[in-house]
Amino acid sequence: MASSRRPLSPSEIGERLRAQFGEDVRSSDDVFGHAVVTVGPERFEEMATFLRDEPDLDFDYFDFLTGVDYRPKGRGFEVVTHLYSTRLNHHVRLKLECDAEDPHCPTLSGIWPGANWHERETWELFGVMFDGHPHLVKLVLPEQFEGYPLRKDFALMTREAKPWPGGVEGADEEVAT
Amino acid sequence: MGLMDQVDMPQPVKFILNWGRRYSLWVMNFGLACCAIELIATSTSKHDFIRLGVIPFAHGPRQADLLVVAGTLTDKMAPPLKRVYDQIPDPKYVISFGSCSNCGGPYWDSYSVTKGVDQIVPVDVYVPGCPPRPEALLHGIIKLQEKIAQEDIREKWSGKLSTPPVTV
Repeated sequence: MASSRRPLSPSEIGERLRAQFGEDVRSSDDVFGHAVVTVGPERFEEMATFLRDEPDLDFDYFDFLTGVDYRPKGRGFEVVTHLYSTRLNHHVRLKLECDAEDPHCPTLSGIWPGANWHERETWELFGVMFDGHPHLVKLVLPEQFEGYPLRKDFALMTREAKPWPGGVEGADEEVAT
Repeated sequence: MGLMDQVDMPQPVKFILNWGRRYSLWVMNFGLACCAIELIATSTSKHDFIRLGVIPFAHGPRQADLLVVAGTLTDKMAPPLKRVYDQIPDPKYVISFGSCSNCGGPYWDSYSVTKGVDQIVPVDVYVPGCPPRPEALLHGIIKLQEKIAQEDIREKWSGKLSTPPVTV
């Protein structure tokens, strides 16, 4: 089938992935005009390659990759990968749920070289291991830095020494009443 | 370093030398964040710190007299700042420009920001603000010039002089 050369709608992208990967697509949504697809780690790389190589999907541009710490909400980490097609002008966000204790994610740096530094950054800030990454060392933090600063349980030394002087989220309303 | 730090100069010579130094401050641009824009604005024609004898910008630290640290210093950037400071020949001066370089500013509890450049280099003048207006930097430069005029040139030349910092 020749490619349609038109942007696919978020629901079409979801359907396309479900047709190919079936139950491995855990959920697919339309979030503000972007397709958001949650996947498991088993076929993550395969799905990324599929998104890049299929002519009607054609995600040639790796936009960004980051992590989210959902542990205070009773879940683990999530790795969010945003892909874009420069030829077809459509977006997709892949969300991969990781373990709370020992988060792992397959690397995408072999599929899009741009993923390399994003994965290094996500590793040093959230402590998500990217399996198969060729050079997983610190990128923006000083070499001697210990800990993963964007984790919710990371202790800020200044805050330990001096409590936050301003208003705490949600506390203002209680004071007012 | 030669005659300067060994012989006590007569008062008129001291005055002339300090007068010359205070109106010829080659400034090293160490712009790190948004404060750098204000520093650059101070150097351009509207605010024009050249009329105070501050010359923008030294081509390297070895040609500079004044280091203006403008912006957020992170722990990762602290070693390069120390290195730039060490490369500036004595006598040298440091202006800490903006809240971030004074004390960490809005990043007071950050994991990555150095809470005050005075932990890394000695500061002569602190200019508060977030960011400070160019006029504040001009005021800071005038304060620094007043300080230079009062200096014992012999001690300053040998790098032994430590004077209390001025807050604008």
